[in-house]
Amino acid sequence: MIVALIVFTIALLLSLMFVYLAVTEKDLLKAIVFSAGQSICYAILLHTMAAPDIVMTYLAVSVGLYSALLVFVVSKTERYEA
Amino acid sequence: MSKRVLALLTLITLSLLTSLLITILIGVKAPTSIRDLGKYYVANTIHEAASPEAVTAIVWDYRGLDTIYETTVLYMAIIGGLAISAISRKIQLKTRIGLTGIARTATRIIVLLIATIAFAIALHGHLTPGGGFPGGSAMAITAMLIVPVYTLQSLLERGVTSTRLVAARGLALTALGLIAILPVLRGLEAVTNQKFYPSHIAGMLISGSLWFYNFFEFLAVASGFAAVALYLSAPEELYREELRGVE
Amino acid sequence: MESFVYVLFIVVLTLNAFIAIYGIVFRRSLVKKLISLTILSDTVFVSIILVGCIFTYPIVPPVYSGVEGEKEFLLKHASDPLPQALVLTGIVIGLAVNALIAFGIIQVYRLTGTTDAKRAVSALVEEVMEE
Repeated sequence: MIVALIVFTIALLLSLMFVYLAVTEKDLLKAIVFSAGQSICYAILLHTMAAPDIVMTYLAVSVGLYSALLVFVVSKTERYEA
Repeated sequence: MSKRVLALLTLITLSLLTSLLITILIGVKAPTSIRDLGKYYVANTIHEAASPEAVTAIVWDYRGLDTIYETTVLYMAIIGGLAISAISRKIQLKTRIGLTGIARTATRIIVLLIATIAFAIALHGHLTPGGGFPGGSAMAITAMLIVPVYTLQSLLERGVTSTRLVAARGLALTALGLIAILPVLRGLEAVTNQKFYPSHIAGMLISGSLWFYNFFEFLAVASGFAAVALYLSAPEELYREELRGVE
Repeated sequence: MESFVYVLFIVVLTLNAFIAIYGIVFRRSLVKKLISLTILSDTVFVSIILVGCIFTYPIVPPVYSGVEGEKEFLLKHASDPLPQALVLTGIVIGLAVNALIAFGIIQVYRLTGTTDAKRAVSALVEEVMEE
């Protein structure tokens, strides 16, 4: 049980860091990478909470499809914010 | 240290201290048992839905109508994207800038592996965690990998256009609708599972309509997102000419 | 110990949601708004699954594997399957809406030449006013 609690704490704090870095970054490609990192932290959380169906769907959609879609969009519009 | 790192450390210590304070002052208790409705689903999923996997049984049997509507919503999003990216004449790309031979060989191996795993996830969705959606999304990642490495022109030459993929998605959706509506002809409700479909075929457990739902949902999601990948990668000059022609 | 981690869960997820809402309202680029929207919806999904999670040991997914006497074990130690089914539906619908918004952003860039929210809106309004 103690291992699960330690994994929870570390994954939560890492996800807070990734969310803050993703929202305040001016280079949009770096923001996409930080958003993928946040999705990986949430997937660790979901696995420790015993929801394996959601882990598969969430990983494929959020790390795979969103990152690819957003890279397509950034390549057709501007790279730097503001 | 820069301002962002300082703000980050402040946020982390703030959250730790706040949760410590709240635990000591208010004394919240973490939950130790699930709700009664969850217990009902866990207890009765084998008898009523013939599937040892409670989540798939809820998604396609107990609440099957929600899932059919959700598939329709995904279909409408793909059609909306198709409407924005329509080009009035045939696409003829002049250059074929693909990637080198190393990238092509590596992509071939990786695409085969991902396709095998995606099929496996989709087809055993009624026995272990998995199902139509994760399998379809994994297959869609394959499509998004193929398009930059082998160029768009080589795919269009082989007859894989986005309109045909959307038509394939429509066919898979029709098959889904048929499986849902077939019990109505016998007088039962729509989206019935065990009262109409057999739970074993040739001795293997297929849980009635759950296997067929997973298979057609896999085909639908994979072809839909392959179509999205195809019409996202048409180069921008074609659209600029299109808009100039409109004005 | 479990209460501390439970409260830390709620506090950190609320902070994530607030940072994401700040990103939607106060950032000027349309792509950054889309990224913050995906972060917000992901945080809401994780907090829904938190409702169905129990803090005992061992915790297992709600799947039968054909062992003897499994029903009593699962009724005491399995996680709740109903929130997981609802989140599955939610993820797919969120994917559909975000894909449509991405196409909308590309079309706004083609029509006005910028992805800055204020400048794009004023350029579009000017075009409408001219007609």
